[in-house]
Amino acid sequence: MTTAAPGTTAYLESLVNVATGELDRRIFSDEEIFELEMKHIFGRAWLFLCHETQIPKKGDFFEAPMGKDNVLVVRQRDGGIKALLNTCTHRGNAVCRAEEGNVRNFMCTYHGWTFGLDGELVGVPGMSDFYHDDLDKTKHPLRKVAQLDNYKGFIFATMDPQAPPLLEFLGRTGRIGIDLLAERGDIEARPGVQKFTLNCNWKFAVDNAFDYYHPQITHISAQAVGMIPSADATDTGGAKTDEGKSLGVQRLPTDLDTLVALGEYGHAISGPSLDSILKTLPTEMHELVTWRQNPGPLAFLGPVGSRFAGHPHLFPTAWFTMDSQISLRVPRSAGVTEVWWFSFRDRNESPEEQRAQLGRQIHSFGPAGFLEQEDGENWSQSTMQTRGGASRDIPQLLKMGLGRGKIIHEDGVARIEAPVNEYAQLWTYLSWLEWVKGTGWDELRSSTTPGDHI
Amino acid sequence: METMRLETAIAPEKIAAMYLQYEVERFYTHEAALLDHLRFEEWVDLFTDDTAYFMPIRRTVPRRNLSREFTRPGEMAFFDDDKATLVGRVQKLGTGTAWAEDPPSRTRHLVTNVRIVEDSGTELTVETCFHLYRTRLKSEIDEWIGRREDVLRRTEEGFRIARRHIYLDQTILLSQNLSNFF
Repeated sequence: MTTAAPGTTAYLESLVNVATGELDRRIFSDEEIFELEMKHIFGRAWLFLCHETQIPKKGDFFEAPMGKDNVLVVRQRDGGIKALLNTCTHRGNAVCRAEEGNVRNFMCTYHGWTFGLDGELVGVPGMSDFYHDDLDKTKHPLRKVAQLDNYKGFIFATMDPQAPPLLEFLGRTGRIGIDLLAERGDIEARPGVQKFTLNCNWKFAVDNAFDYYHPQITHISAQAVGMIPSADATDTGGAKTDEGKSLGVQRLPTDLDTLVALGEYGHAISGPSLDSILKTLPTEMHELVTWRQNPGPLAFLGPVGSRFAGHPHLFPTAWFTMDSQISLRVPRSAGVTEVWWFSFRDRNESPEEQRAQLGRQIHSFGPAGFLEQEDGENWSQSTMQTRGGASRDIPQLLKMGLGRGKIIHEDGVARIEAPVNEYAQLWTYLSWLEWVKGTGWDELRSSTTPGDHI
Repeated sequence: METMRLETAIAPEKIAAMYLQYEVERFYTHEAALLDHLRFEEWVDLFTDDTAYFMPIRRTVPRRNLSREFTRPGEMAFFDDDKATLVGRVQKLGTGTAWAEDPPSRTRHLVTNVRIVEDSGTELTVETCFHLYRTRLKSEIDEWIGRREDVLRRTEEGFRIARRHIYLDQTILLSQNLSNFF
């Protein structure tokens, strides 16, 4: 709690206390803070839109969210890609009402203004009779995003013309995050993006990607039926059922040997090290992670990057899984978030391998996934409790490993080696604060450049 | 007599068709009752060992692109289960630690518009419409309406589901998960 006036920098700074590992729960339900996020984060950051293989043919389009704006990512006649705001320049109606498809042009169903694949206004009904040919069509194209770029086929855009180039925004940590998917082979998107709706604040979904404390509790039933590897060792900390019995929480080799990477602008990676996950996975599944030590991928990942077997997350909302999927957390309001799952395959794999991976992807994540079924209610209930007058005054805790996060700088990566911890979550909120204050690009970069400890 | 007149007026094959319709509808109300009474072990026994349980992703597409409205087997889906995976889902619910269903959801499976569209002798292809109504915790309501396309195999134990494809009337799912069966 703070006495500073809402909306001021002093107020915002009171919401995140990195020294004590405490957050003010208001950040998860305050509508004014949500609007600041829309303006300063989603209005400025490079956001993942889709993969180029989702729109292979001219006229293919995919509608992607950028904050509250809806953007059509369109394959051009010359093979290029443009990202256009889905709003008619006449009266604002959406010029396309489908999520994806193939078109020759976009016609607004209100008055018939028609736009080419490149967004140029090519048709206006009544141009001579009603407008007296006194309308300059070149002045009213569909508006484009400020900047569009792609990294290895992953398409990103920003609404801020001042934003640094994509490669600089991603930095070494962000690029490693994408390389851990892109360098696995000849990657293409599988048809079908799973989309579903959670009654939670987007940041609960985001910080969970780093949370290796929850799987053995939240996902204990999935572990019981073999979806997560099991171990002989059990936790002695004391989780008890409502009958007072020990829950029998297992302790995996990965729990004591994790790697965290902290990157500029808030990107991070957190989870098991390569060595520890190899001890956990059955031998026949080692190829899931060992490919990264082949010369091709290693050239991009480097000796440090190739050791991450956890979850990369590109600030603000793109989580890359270990098995070729991206989970995009799409904020719709302070209390509603959509989850969009993009899934990929390696064209070089055999049909049997591709089929097996498809099964792992469908059965792990998504709304019917053995793992993810359990996540949504944790976050929606956590969000709901941040609205209580007394409940929201209880600080949100990120104290695990607090003060012990020694950062090692090597090969351009800032990493921490530790047992299960909450450093990446703390890094996310530290960076979130800098973004939401509206910090300028240069200062934003320097204030989110990792030092020697967290 | 009344019954005599009925027998003479309606051809035997029509009586047989009515009886088949009755048997199929009875099978579906039995199946729905098992689900709504949380009797999942008995429910999963209604599927053949070579069953395929599939719910594609539906997308809003222009009318001209309707052929790509649903994803196909081999593409991404919400459910793409064989018998072992379905049994795994039931076992997961039975662990006592599947928190998404603890406290359990209240569900009501309404099955209607039952149409037998093909009868090969050993198997029937049956289309149904369904309404799955779910409430959770204090005030959460989810509902899913859609169409199922089943292959029912005639066995000594009665009908068994050899294939189920589930087509939801939603594109972006409005629910936080799909922790129930369709």
